[in-house]
Amino acid sequence: MRVLTFGWDYPPFKNGGLGVACHGLTEELIELGLDIIFVLPRAQPTLGNQKFIFADKNPVTIHVVASQLLPYQQAQSFIEYFSKDGKRVRFERRIIDEVHRYAREAYSIALQEQFDLIHAHDWTSYLAGVAAKLATGKPLVLHVHATSFDQAGGEHSDPEIYALERHAFNTADSVVAISHYTKRVIVQKYGVDAEKVTVVHNGIKPHSPHQLPPVLEELKRQGKKIVFYNGRITIQKGVDYFIRAARKVIDHDQNVVFVISGWGDMEQQIIHLVGSLGLSKYVIFTGALWDEERDRMYQAADLLVMPSVSEPFGLVPLEAIQHGTPVLITKQSGVAEVLTHALKVDFWDTDEMANKILCGLRYRVMNKQLVEEGKKELSRITWRHAAHKVHAVYKKLLGWLNERG
Amino acid sequence: MLTVCPYFHVHQPHRIKQYRVFDIGHDDQYFNGGDETDLNNEKVLRKVAEKSYIPATALLGELLARHPEFRFSLSFSGTVLDQFESHLPDVLKAFQGLVKTGRVEVLADTYYHSLAFFYSRSEFERQVLLHQKKIQDLFGVTPRVFRNTELSYTNDLATWCEENGYLGIMAEGWDPILGWRSPNYVYSPKGCSTLKVLLKNYKLSDDVAFRFGNRGWESWPLDAETYANWIHRHHGDGHTINLFMDFETFGEHQWEDTGIFNFLRDLPRALLAHPDTGFKTATETILAYPTVGEFDVPHILTWADTDRDLTAWVGNDIQKDAISSIYAMESDVMKTKNNALIETWRRLQTSDHFYYMCTKWFNDGDVHAYFSPYESPYDAYITFMNALSDLQLRVTRALEENAHGKVPRNLFTRMWERFSAYWKKIMASIIYS
Repeated sequence: MRVLTFGWDYPPFKNGGLGVACHGLTEELIELGLDIIFVLPRAQPTLGNQKFIFADKNPVTIHVVASQLLPYQQAQSFIEYFSKDGKRVRFERRIIDEVHRYAREAYSIALQEQFDLIHAHDWTSYLAGVAAKLATGKPLVLHVHATSFDQAGGEHSDPEIYALERHAFNTADSVVAISHYTKRVIVQKYGVDAEKVTVVHNGIKPHSPHQLPPVLEELKRQGKKIVFYNGRITIQKGVDYFIRAARKVIDHDQNVVFVISGWGDMEQQIIHLVGSLGLSKYVIFTGALWDEERDRMYQAADLLVMPSVSEPFGLVPLEAIQHGTPVLITKQSGVAEVLTHALKVDFWDTDEMANKILCGLRYRVMNKQLVEEGKKELSRITWRHAAHKVHAVYKKLLGWLNERG
Repeated sequence: MLTVCPYFHVHQPHRIKQYRVFDIGHDDQYFNGGDETDLNNEKVLRKVAEKSYIPATALLGELLARHPEFRFSLSFSGTVLDQFESHLPDVLKAFQGLVKTGRVEVLADTYYHSLAFFYSRSEFERQVLLHQKKIQDLFGVTPRVFRNTELSYTNDLATWCEENGYLGIMAEGWDPILGWRSPNYVYSPKGCSTLKVLLKNYKLSDDVAFRFGNRGWESWPLDAETYANWIHRHHGDGHTINLFMDFETFGEHQWEDTGIFNFLRDLPRALLAHPDTGFKTATETILAYPTVGEFDVPHILTWADTDRDLTAWVGNDIQKDAISSIYAMESDVMKTKNNALIETWRRLQTSDHFYYMCTKWFNDGDVHAYFSPYESPYDAYITFMNALSDLQLRVTRALEENAHGKVPRNLFTRMWERFSAYWKKIMASIIYS
């Protein structure tokens, strides 16, 4: 079985969890014996190593299309991303134009390649998938990692992206949602038949990290507890609710420090909020942390909070648990469906969020159990499991299911 | 002759309301949840009464009137009796009416539905005495057969019961302990000479308690005739069929629309249709039959899930932490001699609190097996530990006040204030009249 797959970025390119998810799933599909042709819209800044990722497992061929395209944007916004040295780079081109351009390229790639079906990841690739289906008539699977409702915090969406998504969902033969949470949005807000949508939760690569050199040692020596936020600073991520809960925590216990790692269009607003609530002494902004710097912070933290207003999945809490840090997540996240050993709260309930932050720091036995049991649970949340489910979707579409089980 | 020994267990805990870190030191009412959730004890009690206690006591009363042979046993936790007295005295009256017939036996228990036997023998004994007193006060009878919380049992507990004058004790008729032997006889607990043990026939009990309304079950729908046949089959291979279950099976665990009440209504008639079948209470069963062998339980046996041990209550670290924290307070709490503090401490010993913290279901991904008024085991733990932290503060404060002799002085001051206020009132009434 050969699958023409459309994505938007791929590790080691850094832009949140989406590329990581594509990578994790693709690797496991190859393990199951599938051929994957992975199409990317553009040359990546870290392209140097990119072509060699699967050099030893040759079924993957990587196409690079010359256009700039990144996820998590408004249709009319300009394209931004982080370069290798962590600086922000901006292109004077609108994202919606790039989506259409990608789709035109996809049409001709599809005509050149041999494959059985098409799989497109995230909205930026949907039109490319639709174009490939138009060109070849092969079945199309759309993989929904987020919807435009998530990016606006759940209630509104960019009308241009919404129209595109709706059109693509209708054209697709099958839709894969990364959580029941996301499936509900697809069914309720896009009117897609629930039968057509399969839930395939993301996985996480098994990883037992080493003890890294410590950070924030001085604060810890003073007996401060570290509460860590890692993620983009956008309305979807609920950092404002987190800061309001932080105020309530500090009112109760001043030996807590909040570390915020990330970037995003709400950054200034959050900095102002911290100032106006008189929290500057208790909140540290580190900018976006990557790789070892981020991992060291995971290890230094006593608790990680993911306060998302709307989170289709949420990889960050799983990473934190791998590093031995318990997590507090919102019920409005897909990961809450698969992770039972976590503290959970409604994003808007800042009293309860503050209560659970304080309890997470206060009760060490619980803290320890959350990590130990969480790690065991992680071993069951795998990309292997996800790949089996995706494979089943493929087989069903190709009518293989009855013949080959 | 084959007799059936039904025994129904009546219990409601005092659930802890949502109680946050911020409440520690500011709110000493842990059990007065007034919201619409299942943490509102009065609301839950009224709901269960509506669905189960009221219709089931009425039906059992009818059955006792219609069938002179019908008899059964009941056990009550002190915590449910307290709640009946405060909120639903009529339900209590209905139960008292059943006991008054003389054909309904009441069993001994721990007052607070606790696991105290395994953590503090002294506290356990106090709770059994409190329970005995309560049963005597409310029902005018003295229990002679003991059943421990969650049917938990060991040889040591049986020995304790014999030493304390009980005739019998109840336990789970669990195959790994019985081996080839049948639960349908009376056994002699290891180390005891007079005490007898009654063993739950869990297959026949759970057919009603757990499987009755399950449409996926091969025997669904179960009618009284079929069930009576299953029991009659044991003629010649047993003396007693011990059917132990929660009282709430009738109407609450199995809703009315499953047909559970019709089933119960028909059952005595269907059972008595066989000429050689009868009913006995626990004590009658124990007095009627000789023991046929030894029952040896060195490790704790309970009636819970497939493990039949205590792991649903104290299996994980947070459960162990919570229960050891509560019993670690014993000597301090008792030293305060403050009844309100002691009562609160005891209410926190009820086994349900620890059950809500159980995470074992999640290991099989079976989240639906988690029955709890809390959203997660961690919510249950946090709520419990916050309340416990507040209680610890209050106990420390009370001990400090005792040490500084504040209580007598306060008492004296208060009496003086009351006296002088009264005196002024009298003087005023004399002057202005």
